[in-house]
Amino acid sequence: MIETSLFENSDLIALFTTLKMAFVTTVILMVIGTPLAWYLAKMNSRYKIIIEAVVALPIVLPPTVLGFYLLIAFSPQHLPGQLWQTLTGQQLAFSFSAIVIGSVFYSLPFVVQPLQKAFEQLGNNVLEAGAMLGASSIDRFFTLVLPITKASFITAATLGFAHTVGEFGIVLMIGGNISGETKVLSIALFEHVEAFNYAKAHLLAGSLLIGSFIVLGLIYLLNYTKPKINQRPNNQRSITVKGSR
Amino acid sequence: MSNENKSLNFNFNTQLDGFTLSVKQTIPTQGITGVFGHSGSGKSTLLRLISGLESSATGQLYLHNNVLFDSTKRINVKPEKRRIGLVFQEDRLFPHLNVKQNLAYAHQRCPDKKLNIDDIISLTQLTPLLDKDVTLLSGGEKQRVAIARAVLSEPELLLLDEPLSALDTKNKAIMISLLLNVQQSLNIPMLYVSHSLAELQQISDNLLVMKQGNIEHFGNIHQVIHTLNNSLETLQQTSLSLTIKEHLAKYGLTALQLTQNISLYMPLLKSFKNVPLKSQLAINSTEKSLLVRCYIAANDISISRNKAINSSIVNHFQAKIIKLQAQGSTVLVTLTIVESEYLKQVFYSSISLWSAERLCLKIGDLVYIQFKASAVHGLANLAEE
Repeated sequence: MIETSLFENSDLIALFTTLKMAFVTTVILMVIGTPLAWYLAKMNSRYKIIIEAVVALPIVLPPTVLGFYLLIAFSPQHLPGQLWQTLTGQQLAFSFSAIVIGSVFYSLPFVVQPLQKAFEQLGNNVLEAGAMLGASSIDRFFTLVLPITKASFITAATLGFAHTVGEFGIVLMIGGNISGETKVLSIALFEHVEAFNYAKAHLLAGSLLIGSFIVLGLIYLLNYTKPKINQRPNNQRSITVKGSR
Repeated sequence: MSNENKSLNFNFNTQLDGFTLSVKQTIPTQGITGVFGHSGSGKSTLLRLISGLESSATGQLYLHNNVLFDSTKRINVKPEKRRIGLVFQEDRLFPHLNVKQNLAYAHQRCPDKKLNIDDIISLTQLTPLLDKDVTLLSGGEKQRVAIARAVLSEPELLLLDEPLSALDTKNKAIMISLLLNVQQSLNIPMLYVSHSLAELQQISDNLLVMKQGNIEHFGNIHQVIHTLNNSLETLQQTSLSLTIKEHLAKYGLTALQLTQNISLYMPLLKSFKNVPLKSQLAINSTEKSLLVRCYIAANDISISRNKAINSSIVNHFQAKIIKLQAQGSTVLVTLTIVESEYLKQVFYSSISLWSAERLCLKIGDLVYIQFKASAVHGLANLAEE
């Protein structure tokens, strides 16, 4: 039997780091992903295909490939890393900021794609109706787009969050294994397995499994809508028209 | 603002997916102006240009002398700022809001709020539906909500893009009555697009006819419908607006005043369910009298050299032939009533060439025209279209 005392302080710190990383990443993803998805859903340009392919790359690319290129970019020898160091005075590689930026790239398609699909399905009909009733574009977004596509926003945020929690390759490449900074649950689990500490590994893996299941279950419950039954009476409004003479 | 300034002026030139639209017209913004044309004539494109939902055109648009669009001056007022309402072919209700919330959405965004939301709900008979989910409404109920919602945004001009095309014929008649009632109660000028001439004949004061992206005719509804008789593309007919003389309920007839001495009989006009008879009729703005819109197909009017005595046909009176047009094996005969020189009421009769030759018809001849009461079609007969 696994006892709760098996939870190490470092595991709890890793859990906290993971949740913090996933939360910050999800917020950034929703802020960036929503306008990007809107743009992709509405644009007719041929460049759309290129942007869509770039956004979808993390789905097919091994995380270590993305992690490798980001590690190079984040190093002080290259422009992004240099710029970051100039602005913040700190090194970007192997920092919490680095794993958040890496996660944003890695989880971007999981947020953009469901939102893009929702915006495409929404079409322009409802938005045009809103405009004809005097609603501005911002007004239309918050009073029509957001509530009508609410389920897709919840799905996008959930997928973004869950995918970030499950990251391993990128975090290892650009974050390393610094407790309280870049050591996340998946890396802590890997450490326990490497050390043949299967009891602790079981505890972490099981907790992640059950936690993920509960979160997804809650989200599906939140998104569940009762099927609508048409209860319209048969005696519809009708007029009596006298037949022709 | 004087009535002279109350007009819609537009001049649009555009090419959309190979379709060319070139229209220029001034329309007085009073009553209901119908826009007629077959599919692909540019009716909906015109409404989208006026509403601002489509702006890929060159030209100008003025409503009550206020510029809404001018491509040369790069002026393009956003649709939400134009104070123009649009009722679409499909209802376009907001699915996440119930009926009342859909109506409130429009009312909350109206800067003036002169109209009382409860009055409009009552006028459009929506009280029993207020808390209903809009996705569960019938087609007619959805369009009633869409019309009420558009009215509550208090537009200076209301555009209607074939709003009844998805409804069955019975609901169409009810909705036309309701629209007439709304127009007469609130005095909102409307531009009503339809490909059904029978529908437009019932609802419009003026008619604009479009063909292949151009405006072919514009003018009084009856005059334009009579002009269309020459095109052979629409039902050849006599279009009339007449006052009610009396109801003969026992005989199932309503007598309309054609001239001082001539009555025209049609099937008895009745109130629809929840729609009073008064609401089904156009009001003559100059005389404030109730007018019945009706039409008689040219095929239904026959011509006789002699007065028909002891005939079951109730409508027969003397008329003078003013025009004869051979159209293949048929002849379209245009006649005026002899009794009143001032009235100038014309009737159109389509007869076979054989009959025209047999009767030796000539311009200026005095003949008798006759048609059954059931040949006079009103709003209730829209169902037969």
